[in-house]
Amino acid sequence: MQEYFRYGVIFAFFISFFSLSFLVLRTFRFGKKTLYSKPQGKPIKGICYAFGQGMMPWAKESVLKHIPTFISGILYHIGIFLALFYTLSLAIPFNIPGQFLFSFQIIFLMAVICGLFLLLRRIIKTTLWQISCPDDFVSNILVNLFLVMALIDVSITKFRAYLFIAVILMLLYIPFGKIRHCFFFFFSRVFFGHFFGRRGVLS
Amino acid sequence: MNKTQTDTINKKINTLKPKDFTKALQAFQEKITSEYATYLNSCVRCGLCAESCHYFLAYKDLKSMPAYKLNLIMKVFKKYSSFAGNHFSFWFGAKEIKHHLIQEWIDNLFGRCSLCGRCFLNCTMGINIPYLIRAARNALSSLDLVPPGLQSTITIALKTGNNMGITTDDWIETLDWLEDELEQDVEDQNVKIPLDIPNAKILYAINPREAMFFPLSILAVAKIFYAAKENWTFSSKNYDVTNYGFFIGDDKTAGKLAYPLVESMETLKCKDLILSECGHGFNSNRWEASEWLSKKQNFDVKSIIQNVAEYIKTGRIKLDSSYYQKTLTLHDPCNLVRFGGIVEEQRFILRQVTNNFVEMSPNRENNFCCGGGGGQLAMTRYADRRRKSGEVKAEQIRRTGADIVVAPCHNCVDQITELNKHYQLGVEIKTVCEIVADALILNRNTSSRPGKK
Repeated sequence: MQEYFRYGVIFAFFISFFSLSFLVLRTFRFGKKTLYSKPQGKPIKGICYAFGQGMMPWAKESVLKHIPTFISGILYHIGIFLALFYTLSLAIPFNIPGQFLFSFQIIFLMAVICGLFLLLRRIIKTTLWQISCPDDFVSNILVNLFLVMALIDVSITKFRAYLFIAVILMLLYIPFGKIRHCFFFFFSRVFFGHFFGRRGVLS
Repeated sequence: MNKTQTDTINKKINTLKPKDFTKALQAFQEKITSEYATYLNSCVRCGLCAESCHYFLAYKDLKSMPAYKLNLIMKVFKKYSSFAGNHFSFWFGAKEIKHHLIQEWIDNLFGRCSLCGRCFLNCTMGINIPYLIRAARNALSSLDLVPPGLQSTITIALKTGNNMGITTDDWIETLDWLEDELEQDVEDQNVKIPLDIPNAKILYAINPREAMFFPLSILAVAKIFYAAKENWTFSSKNYDVTNYGFFIGDDKTAGKLAYPLVESMETLKCKDLILSECGHGFNSNRWEASEWLSKKQNFDVKSIIQNVAEYIKTGRIKLDSSYYQKTLTLHDPCNLVRFGGIVEEQRFILRQVTNNFVEMSPNRENNFCCGGGGGQLAMTRYADRRRKSGEVKAEQIRRTGADIVVAPCHNCVDQITELNKHYQLGVEIKTVCEIVADALILNRNTSSRPGKK
């Protein structure tokens, strides 16, 4: 049974990846705007800024004003990517040296806590609750469930099938809901950096 | 909000038919590029944009949140451009364009946004919220649902060539008496305010509010050009830098409003188009006009501030470095600084005329909007909100302890003047060129400068 789920995980990874790629490519059909105005700065500088300094608390006010949320977000996403890597290592499979597994436990635990914090924040903060739709909550819950199962699996392997089910559900849901931002984030930041870099705004 | 205006808008909204919603949707979709589609797929509703918005800081309410305003637009994008949004609208927060949504768009996208871009800078994903709001405003414009004050400014500009409806005769007459004033100021009877000079190096364009209400700011620049021995000219026909079409997101109209300056540049064959201190005028003419007109300009477009900084650096003008004894602070107009990229020149200039320059906090591209942008000054129905949202700027000014607020944008000057009165700030408000003109050292025997400030 677990063997079928293993193949299901690999299949879900492919479906998710190709669906997201399709969604990104589909945005290209809206057309690219040709820019005629003379640039004042270098777009590449803006793009580097967008992915580097531009995300840091000393440069970005929204981060500085929300340090706990910022740190939670970072830990959450580190946990997610590591959990995906860990799950893939079980599905393919390939070996992760045993000495890393304790660090994985810590990171997954922190990610679960941060995920819960972000979910609670969305429930408790009235303004966030009011701009949210069911997708916002379900996306968070699915990811949190996956992280919990990854945390359990790295400690006790007998619930592995549930980890595989959790990741399959999450991966298949990704292209439909807001978790698609995992792909779109990079393009969005590139456009942001390009816009300001070209205008010579960001130092 | 004025009850009559509200009733008129509501009447218009209530008469909208399905074909109108289709029209609005088309107007919205024609603005969506791959860049905008990426943004509309990216918002995670994290809410971190909230405190970047002066409306939210003033009102602390849901509708003032940039994420709320963006969500109003995303609902439509999801409904009509995504499988999930179309088939599972409730689940994914998608919504059809209908009467209620149109009402929300008008009230929030016109009424609670100055297109300042602070949310753009602070968004986790880097979403260009103001430009998406412009796309939605374009949809409203296609249904003739632009708030009347803003629409009438555009109509006047299209009809008369400038947003104040100044006739050519009045414009020339204004320049004539300014020339007389300039003669007295610089004590040179040969000084001219040039008009329609072909092959001049610079074509200078202004915010028509200057001609109507602040002619001394035109005089200030003329004096600076005189001191720098600049080869410049005005156009008798086309001199308006403003572009209220920019505010309604209607690129066709914006292009029509931007073209006259291009036409004058081509007719007079000037080298540089220099724009007076006007934030959105700079963004429109320097960055957007080429896109609206779909062609590269074969001339440079600059802010007068860039020229003045250059004159100082190259020694073409000399300033009294201790002229201003009072404390000066600097407001950063959103469209000049955050969108325009003119950040340091004005600071350099001010440091040449005073040792008492105090920065606002935050400043530069992080500075707060004064609240007067995005067409807000023209939309009288939202005047109360505009003043209230300006509370943030008023507090910034107060904290500097400055006597003089320098604002390199005439819209900002208007708004800060109103804030000055409303919040009893007790400050003077000046443009950069007015400051420079006062501190100019001219080669003459007697100084006719006003006393030091």
